[in-house]
Amino acid sequence: MRKTVKSARHIPYLFMAPALAIYSVFLVYPMFDSLYLSFFEWDGLSAKKTFVGLNNYIEFFFDDQTARKATINTFVWTLGSLVIPSSLGLILALALNRGGKVSVVLRTIFYSPAVLPLVGVGLIWGWMYNPNFGVINVILKSVGLGDLAIGWLSNFNTAFAATFVTYTWAHVGFPMILYLAGLQSINQDYYDAARVDGANAWQSFRNVTMPGLTETHVIVLSLAVIHGLKVFDLVYAMTYGGPGRETQVLGTWMYFQGFQYYHAGYGAAIAWVIAAFILVLAIPYIRRMSSN
Amino acid sequence: MSTRLRKRQLLNGKTLILLGLIGFSLVWLLPFATVALTALRSEGDMYANGVFSIPKVIRWDNLTKAWGVGDFPTYFKNSLLLILLKVPLGILVAALAAYPLAKMSFRGNSALFIFFLVGLAVPIQVTLLPLVGMMRDLGLSGSVYALIPPYIAFGLPLQILVLRGFFKLIPGEILEAARIDGASEFTIFRRIMLPLSVPALAALFILDSLSTWNEFLMALVLTSAKAARTVPLGLLAFQGEHNTQYTLLMAGVAISILPVLIIFVFLQRYFVTGLTAGAVKG
Repeated sequence: MRKTVKSARHIPYLFMAPALAIYSVFLVYPMFDSLYLSFFEWDGLSAKKTFVGLNNYIEFFFDDQTARKATINTFVWTLGSLVIPSSLGLILALALNRGGKVSVVLRTIFYSPAVLPLVGVGLIWGWMYNPNFGVINVILKSVGLGDLAIGWLSNFNTAFAATFVTYTWAHVGFPMILYLAGLQSINQDYYDAARVDGANAWQSFRNVTMPGLTETHVIVLSLAVIHGLKVFDLVYAMTYGGPGRETQVLGTWMYFQGFQYYHAGYGAAIAWVIAAFILVLAIPYIRRMSSN
Repeated sequence: MSTRLRKRQLLNGKTLILLGLIGFSLVWLLPFATVALTALRSEGDMYANGVFSIPKVIRWDNLTKAWGVGDFPTYFKNSLLLILLKVPLGILVAALAAYPLAKMSFRGNSALFIFFLVGLAVPIQVTLLPLVGMMRDLGLSGSVYALIPPYIAFGLPLQILVLRGFFKLIPGEILEAARIDGASEFTIFRRIMLPLSVPALAALFILDSLSTWNEFLMALVLTSAKAARTVPLGLLAFQGEHNTQYTLLMAGVAISILPVLIIFVFLQRYFVTGLTAGAVKG
């Protein structure tokens, strides 16, 4: 009898052992090993690591001009992803929140870019932005705006915004799906009650729809922040951080320092700056997910 | 009279919204049209007539040429191999962990759950440098197999979150009845929990296959050899070699995105279930 009780106590941990092992060894441990590495000057290859204390972080925050540019870019990008794809997703969800074949087809269209590999998305848009034959400039020329037809990704003033437009194309579908699910969970009686009370469309949106979507807002906005701060694939595939270093973001700058410039200790420090930003900003999301 | 007028205005409003949506959806389809109209014509035709014209001859052979010239069979093989090995194994490991988290009370339950959840916010970048060294020590340097353990680790937080939520919905009475009949916890997991969770497992299977197919940064750093490239890496290398031959390049893009588009269109229902289950309800 005692034996069964005792072995039963171990059972939960037995079930969790494989997940705990893989997660600890291949995610948690490397994460803290990166923190350790960030206090060293190291080329990433040789056995020689020189302890430099906080020098890599001091370099990041005070000396490295590109790091400053990349930080600003990453935050502008994150702010953009908070506002633009999220609100477009909400508008689409409001417009498509009804039955019928047409809205199913339209939902499919708006969501479909989200399933593509971002490298492919980057190459498609790189071709669309082509200065001479790309469809963007062809359209501009055909409507008499030929003066605006420039090399969107090679121009210092437009490369960043052009890359973000591509991001928007690929990331509207996700908030749209979440908002659709949120809208469907709002009790229809509230709308009926609002109508009986004489509320117009705007009033019932403000007083019924928006409060009903509070939960969804937290999730959509948290995920926008998390995805925004992690941005890498699109910038790498479309501009490679250029022209010059105009479109460097923290994700790409970490990659360049850690794996291209043999400046691995510094790369680890940049990685930890990214991780710290995300972990702090994701707290509300994680709290909400862990509550029942 | 006035209600009729209002109804008509309402109808017009709805039609306007619909027309706006259709117009907007055409803008959203433009990049897909660009791929198709570039990939399926000859280069001369493209430069002479531009992207927006009916191709003189539909050149399906661009696709077969890109497939061969670009070494896509290798990349497809690697990506499919990863999906076949990583996805079932990862979901099994996640399901095993989610079962006690959902259905047993034990010390550290909620702490362990939060420990896994924090992984949702860990960027891949922060693990990359140590992972390179670890894979070298394991003799997996540059191999496609090096991606399997970290992919599983990074997939666990979302999968555990979704499966724990789903397992919680399974009535405890069923489990109690099985326990009284003498079933072991593992039997309950295998014979009750898994079969009753097929919708959630299917959704996760599809979502995870997709993110495995699309993942780029980890593959870029951990698989250097050409023979180990996954589809996104191969596509980027293909672009590097043919960056001015846009018809061929777009044929390569078409090859890389068609599988995911087809899977998405046919299995859309599961996508929506998985996405909303993961993000909205824990």
